[in-house]
Amino acid sequence: MSNVAMGAIVVALGSAAALTGIGVVALGLAGRRPGWWREARFLVWAMLAASVLAFIIMERALITRDFTVLFVAQNGSTRTSSIFNVATLWSALEGSILLWSVILSGYVAAVLVKFRDRRDDPMLAWAMLTLFVVSAFFFLLMVGPANPFRSFDPPAGFDGPGPNPLLQSHILMAVHPPVLYLGYVGFTVPFAFAMGALATGRVGEGWLLATRRWTVMAWGFLTLGIVLGAWWSYETLGWGGYWAWDPVENASFLPWLTGTAFIHSVMVQERRGMLRVWNLSLVIATFALTILGTFITRSGVLASVHAFSNSPIGPALLGFFGVIVVVSLVLIAWRGEQLRSPGRIDSPISREGAFLANNVLFAAFAFVVLLGTIFPLIVEAIDGRQISVGNPYFERMTMPIGFTLLFLMAVAPVLPWRKASSGVLSDRLIWPAWMGVGAIVFSVIVGARGWAPLLAFGLGGFAGGAAVRQVVLATRRQGVRGFIGRTNGGMIVHLGVVMIAVAFAASSAYVRQEEFLLSPGQTASFAGHELTYVGSDAREFENRSETRASIMINGGQIYEPGIAVYPFAGRNIGIPSVRSTPFEDIALSVQQFPEDTDDVLLRVTIQPLILWLWAGGLIMALGTVLAVVPGARRRPTMPVSAPVPDASLPDAQEEVLT
Amino acid sequence: MTRRLLSWVAVATIGVAALLYGAIDEGAPRTDADRAYEMAKTIGCPVCRGQSVAESDATVAKSIRASIAIWIDEGRSDAFIRSALVDRFGEAVDYTPSASGVTALVWILPVVGGAGAIAGLFLVFRRWSDEDDLEASVEDRAAVEAARAAVGRDG
Repeated sequence: MSNVAMGAIVVALGSAAALTGIGVVALGLAGRRPGWWREARFLVWAMLAASVLAFIIMERALITRDFTVLFVAQNGSTRTSSIFNVATLWSALEGSILLWSVILSGYVAAVLVKFRDRRDDPMLAWAMLTLFVVSAFFFLLMVGPANPFRSFDPPAGFDGPGPNPLLQSHILMAVHPPVLYLGYVGFTVPFAFAMGALATGRVGEGWLLATRRWTVMAWGFLTLGIVLGAWWSYETLGWGGYWAWDPVENASFLPWLTGTAFIHSVMVQERRGMLRVWNLSLVIATFALTILGTFITRSGVLASVHAFSNSPIGPALLGFFGVIVVVSLVLIAWRGEQLRSPGRIDSPISREGAFLANNVLFAAFAFVVLLGTIFPLIVEAIDGRQISVGNPYFERMTMPIGFTLLFLMAVAPVLPWRKASSGVLSDRLIWPAWMGVGAIVFSVIVGARGWAPLLAFGLGGFAGGAAVRQVVLATRRQGVRGFIGRTNGGMIVHLGVVMIAVAFAASSAYVRQEEFLLSPGQTASFAGHELTYVGSDAREFENRSETRASIMINGGQIYEPGIAVYPFAGRNIGIPSVRSTPFEDIALSVQQFPEDTDDVLLRVTIQPLILWLWAGGLIMALGTVLAVVPGARRRPTMPVSAPVPDASLPDAQEEVLT
Repeated sequence: MTRRLLSWVAVATIGVAALLYGAIDEGAPRTDADRAYEMAKTIGCPVCRGQSVAESDATVAKSIRASIAIWIDEGRSDAFIRSALVDRFGEAVDYTPSASGVTALVWILPVVGGAGAIAGLFLVFRRWSDEDDLEASVEDRAAVEAARAAVGRDG
């Protein structure tokens, strides 16, 4: 049987399983028949099998270059190397929806296994219903507007163009999309449980505790996915930057912002039973923003380097986004009375006060990014003008928020719950404050200037000091266990954030870029470095021809930036070459080999501390893993309003020790 | 406590002094190339929306970069260069939304929203600190019962 036929069959079966799942669970819930929704588990396995099979069939079609599959004819080619051939699946719309669907089915099956003891619980049934609905939506996309298994009748000797050359020039392209999707899709699970909580009226802390680790893991994947994306962009696009506030970058950043707010504010609800509506809204917003982000990315509504499609999928995604928002709002309004918070915050200078401030800031951050991203569309809709909102806007608007967040990151971890006295704060913050001042003084001594980067370094030192203080205290009393658990892992994540914040501030403040026209043997001096153009050579590959320039940096190692010509894709792309050290990066990219000469037009970008961006991202991922390892934490059954802190608990020990 | 207070005074003094020194002393002067690069990051590429001319490898982006460099060399102001590019390629190449007319909203809304959020928080904390009734209301008791029931079921 052909790949097209098999693919169509499994997608149809998957859709049928998801739709049947909706029906069975819904009828079971309506008739209060737990037996019905218990049996729906077979449909989950059917769904998983269907999506995995669809994935395998598509990979098989790509690997065997089966051009009777339209997707392969449009995106594959016999000249694509094998690793990028596998990654071709997520280089275009239909394949990415397929990847989404596989990951989602995997998550649904994992929920089923993890909560197997609670199969009779109506809240779980409602969560399963939600998961079935979301799965059905993605399966139906594959049946209709994003069908990956459309057929094609290739003429004799047909060969496809291959994926966009930019997407096959760096190994990170094989990793960044799946990791990002693990994050995006992972937020479906807490969303489903939030729906379950609203539907059953059990809007207490149960659903939060049940999905705590799922949320944190999804957040970790999203973080890593975004950092890998920035890294890819830095390594392949050759303009010396890594973050451009491009609509697609913003689309991934928005759920990260609301998700970050959520993983902080849940702690207030777990501990104090407060902020229930807020937490529900955040988890719903995070999920809805992943769908909105997909709409922005995939519908072609905002043209950008990533928006590679103009298909009828746009209205479907926008409609689904609308349904999520409306249903959620109705449910929250319906449960309004039960969502009333039983407590209050005693003092703004307390852990919960800091979390509240954190949430206001993250919400403001998300609002600025969302507004800036969709504002051109709004203006165009109102008076037909074409405008842009870019870098200067985002930098100016988010900088004060970023500074305040760094400051909070320093203060919040040392604040006790309920109320803090100035004596306690003064004791706990003095040496983080010295770290901050030390960072400023050190930066000034090594030649850093400008109030904004210096303030960022100072606040970074302050926040880093506070995080290190927590880790030191925890490891002193718990040994190795002082690195694991939510609080301690969270502090490791904070250290990663500090690295990124400092590297971001340094690289954007001190970046130097210049273009040089060099003849062979000629040397350019730039920012204390000598760049010698040795010569150029041409290389032929199966799918491209490359011209590389040999550039010697400071009389030492040779770097070879160049230009690749992909004749079948009809595109030329740059091949940057970067010399990285912990102190600074020298990124070289060839702008042009002017015709009829041996010259090269070379763009040189020098910026400090770039390596720490990626290191910070990896540390954040590591901290996330440590945070989900069960540490010495509160038992989930413990009432949130437990009045007397037990000295054996990590939160309480702080008070005892200091 | 006095020693602690002295530490804080020292921290604040040294921190502010270092920050001021670093802010006032300009360090190495900015070159024309630095200015051109800064400028290029704020101008959109006319044929590849979503990328600035600093990022883009498109021919027109390269020629805009070259024009910026020439203008800077001629001693033109940033404002002149910006308006020349807008005249030539349209408003969409300017990455800084204008602060007049309908586009001003993109600047105003976050500020208004932020001020509203701060005011809201302030009011909430005022209300919370004014409330000193330690007596649980009927609704509070009901909420506790509901929460207990929920914990019972969840646990």
